[in-house]
Amino acid sequence: MSNSRLFKLRAGPAFRYLVPIFSVYAFTVLLPLLISMYYSIHNEGSTKFVGLQNYIALAKDNDFWFALKNNVIITIFAVIGQVGIAFVIASFFMTKLLKLEGFHRLVIFLPVVLAPVVTGYLWSLIYNYRMGVLNWLLNLFHIDPVLWLDNPNYVLYSVSVPLVWQYIGLYFIIFLAGMQNISKEVLEASEIDGATWFKKTVYVILPLLKNVMNVALILCITGTLKIFDHIYVMTGGGPGRSSMVMAQYAYNNAFTMSRLSYGSTISIGMLILCAIIVLAMSRWIGGEAEK
Amino acid sequence: MKKHTSLTVKLGYAGTNLMVFLFSLSALFPIVWMLYTSLKTNKEFSLSTMSIPSSPTLVNYVNAFNIGNIGSAIFSSVLNTIITVPLIIICSFVIGYFFSRIEFKGKKIMMLLFLAGMMIPIHALLVPLFVQFKWMGMLDNRFTLILPYIAFNVPVAIFLFDSFIKGISKEIEEAAYMDGSSFDYTMFRVIFPICLPIMSTVAILSILGTWNEFSFALVLNKSSELFTLPIWLTFFSGQHTTDYTGKIAGLVITSLPIIVMYLFFSKKIMTGMTAGAVKG
Repeated sequence: MSNSRLFKLRAGPAFRYLVPIFSVYAFTVLLPLLISMYYSIHNEGSTKFVGLQNYIALAKDNDFWFALKNNVIITIFAVIGQVGIAFVIASFFMTKLLKLEGFHRLVIFLPVVLAPVVTGYLWSLIYNYRMGVLNWLLNLFHIDPVLWLDNPNYVLYSVSVPLVWQYIGLYFIIFLAGMQNISKEVLEASEIDGATWFKKTVYVILPLLKNVMNVALILCITGTLKIFDHIYVMTGGGPGRSSMVMAQYAYNNAFTMSRLSYGSTISIGMLILCAIIVLAMSRWIGGEAEK
Repeated sequence: MKKHTSLTVKLGYAGTNLMVFLFSLSALFPIVWMLYTSLKTNKEFSLSTMSIPSSPTLVNYVNAFNIGNIGSAIFSSVLNTIITVPLIIICSFVIGYFFSRIEFKGKKIMMLLFLAGMMIPIHALLVPLFVQFKWMGMLDNRFTLILPYIAFNVPVAIFLFDSFIKGISKEIEEAAYMDGSSFDYTMFRVIFPICLPIMSTVAILSILGTWNEFSFALVLNKSSELFTLPIWLTFFSGQHTTDYTGKIAGLVITSLPIIVMYLFFSKKIMTGMTAGAVKG
């Protein structure tokens, strides 16, 4: 029997396996998108076709763009905090000076597996005005307690820290795995040439890790643009709208205000914007890599 | 190699270790704090945030079961996980097997659609899926969350199976077919057992994905008897805003199974969650 005939799809297996499983997937991921497109071009209550009216309203919706801006700011924090710090910590693991490597690896990755809700509540307790860990620390240095999550001026920083805390381990392990793929000879050669940790990291490891770095960046950006659970639990977008993000805004519209059509419109707008940002990013990163 | 014993080397050694140690501490401390604070009473907690409990008590856990009725949330979470995970494994194995072994029309498009499931911001589906389930009368049911959880976890699992099966020699199947094995038998009895290593990775990732999932459980189910643990937490903290240690006990109950699993399978979880990234 020839290879090609052996591994050709026959009708039986296709109908038994491929079609049902794909239908389930299409039913829960693809069909909802079509239905919400339908909702987004109808008025609330779906009694009348309104064309692109909801989309025009969205384009003029100050709150939506404000939420997008917050998303972008949080994403910038996340990129610096997660990808940046994780890279530096991983590079320490390449110095051979470190004791207890296994322990550090185990501990640094641990927060990644926690539920986002748990992280959110844990940190809102850490941020608690009267009994939180942070204000306890400030008190040790006789600094006045801070309203971490209720002050519009720093709430965006405050909600970013738990995100960084939770996911830094993911990027750390990604970089560590990437660094271990770099050939030992290259690293040893640079050491014999007398390269310091800084030079070795910036001029040898970083260029060799370009692809891994790109994947980490894309992962971090897509991951942070869709953030919802942490925000919902910690601030719900408040105080006011100062920590509002797109997913929370869609949620508020659809479920708190029962505006399903507009909520659908926001969801689709969010999808399009995220796609644009990710495409632009990967094009930009891809272009960089080709130089 | 020369052996340096100069001061700078010693400083570098101490500095590196100290920095990484402090970093690890910042990752670990909040979790340790959560664990021991759950053993304090609210009174003791309000007197001192950081101290370890002077007389550890399980009262918060007892309350979580008796007053908070967390038992039903544990049941929902466990049931969802038990039903979903095997289905994710089977579905993604089958699709992964078709993708890696069989040529068919529309394969590229199908792969692209599954890939899209990995890339789209999942919360963009929150409102749409609610709208659809409402339309079809599928909201607020014991099994409402099963389909979404399968669909959301299957894409990554498919690509893990796909790349694993590509590494298995085709001669195994050829030999099986020579012996008169059917398609189904070959797929499930010959190839499936070989996939055990990647299967365990998929199982662990799916358990994490299902157990920790929040937003869809929040939106699709409203009855309190269907609450999963993450929803129970929001409900509880809405009802008992000042019961801090009670809330912390809830956090521990939600995360302890995951932490224990992590301690046993940390290597597997790390490689599983980063596999795509490093290869990509």
